[in-house]
Amino acid sequence: MTTPTKGRMIRLSDGSAFSSSKDTILEDLEENNVTLEYHCREGFCGACRCKLISGEVDYTIDPLAFIDDDEILPCCTIPLTDIMLDI
Amino acid sequence: MKYTTFNQQPTDFMVEPMFFGNPVNVARYDQQKHAIFEKLIEKQISFFWRPEEVDVSKDRMDFQSLSEAEKHIFISNLKYQTLLDSVQGRSPNIALLPIVSLPELETWIETWSFFETIHSRSYTHILRNLFTDPSHVFDDIIANDEIKRRAADISKYYDALIFATQLWQTQGEGTHVVDGETHVINMRELKKKLYLCMNSVNALEAIRFYVSFACTFAFAERKLMEGNSKIIRLIARDENLHLTSTQHILNLWAKGKDDPEMAEIAAECEEEAREIFLNAVQQEKEWAHYLFANGSMIGLNEDILCQYVEYIANQRMAAIGLGQPFDVSSNPLPWMNNYLNSDNVQVAPQESEISSYLVGQIDSEVSADDFDEFEL
Repeated sequence: MTTPTKGRMIRLSDGSAFSSSKDTILEDLEENNVTLEYHCREGFCGACRCKLISGEVDYTIDPLAFIDDDEILPCCTIPLTDIMLDI
Repeated sequence: MKYTTFNQQPTDFMVEPMFFGNPVNVARYDQQKHAIFEKLIEKQISFFWRPEEVDVSKDRMDFQSLSEAEKHIFISNLKYQTLLDSVQGRSPNIALLPIVSLPELETWIETWSFFETIHSRSYTHILRNLFTDPSHVFDDIIANDEIKRRAADISKYYDALIFATQLWQTQGEGTHVVDGETHVINMRELKKKLYLCMNSVNALEAIRFYVSFACTFAFAERKLMEGNSKIIRLIARDENLHLTSTQHILNLWAKGKDDPEMAEIAAECEEEAREIFLNAVQQEKEWAHYLFANGSMIGLNEDILCQYVEYIANQRMAAIGLGQPFDVSSNPLPWMNNYLNSDNVQVAPQESEISSYLVGQIDSEVSADDFDEFEL
């Protein structure tokens, strides 16, 4: 199933960028060989939390982990717009 | 203030703090000040498992083929984890239930502790399979100096809070002399003890388990002790959830979203909280040294395990606003994450797709056309 959230640009603070094609931002990062810490991949442990510098994301499930106002959990989010992450 | 099991005063739980407000009366979840705890309860219950579901019989043969150094690593870790879960299976109940003021948080604490008792039972399940009589392993937990030292540090914050709470609930605020020792009891001191205790529990769930998890999964990477590894994966998944709960509590306080006095205490005691974490890191490194004292195991040594402790500590400390004190930027044991991934821990085949399969599975909506294809 294609969703309108695929094909958004994901930019990282090191200047690299790629477009989203997977089911979660974490999978997109892994697809592009970006190593990010993760444990549960289900939004409850918070191991993958990172800062969202710009853009908007949506959660695919209700996350249980603590997330600060400027943070997201890549394991259970999809980009709604082009986004920039502090990775 | 005297504890009562059913506070007769009408209480608005939407304005109570998490702790040290009015005691809970009605266990109601229709209104929740911090809905996250109800969600954690649901998630935790969906994770329910029994040690007996996991077949550990093959581990006995594997264990006999391990070197003496590896046997020491394996058994010592089980002893340490037995200690941790013995403490966690009772202490949140005894320390936190007498002072909790929100029904959803009270039930979360009970659910959390209950799962720690499942973990404790699983260690007996594992050890009974390895030894005809495992009592020497359990007996040594009380005799082993390396374990006792850790036990003292883990239990002291709980014990201080429990004792101060008992004095407060029986004698009230003031200066009390017990067995020749003077104790000053006031709300500020009680809340400080609670804050430090919560930080100690957070550090326990965040890093203390991870040295032994790493050893267990290093055996599993070699296809050894896989029954044990399956159980430890289930335990690790639960511990992740417990860690999330203590991170929520600490952050709710620090960000002033609960008791304003706790926000002041969080700012005031930040250095002490950091010390608690750094002490735990140091003790875990010493534990790694003790584990490898008789020799290494394939795929893991003291150095790499210590780096992993620092790496994990950076992650966990950043999560509660304590910064990243260690200079380790990448995970020295990347394969660990495969074992901590909750999709890889299921034991029952019907759970192979989603772990929370029990939630919302009964559909009570019956529409008029549901029986259209039905013929008699």
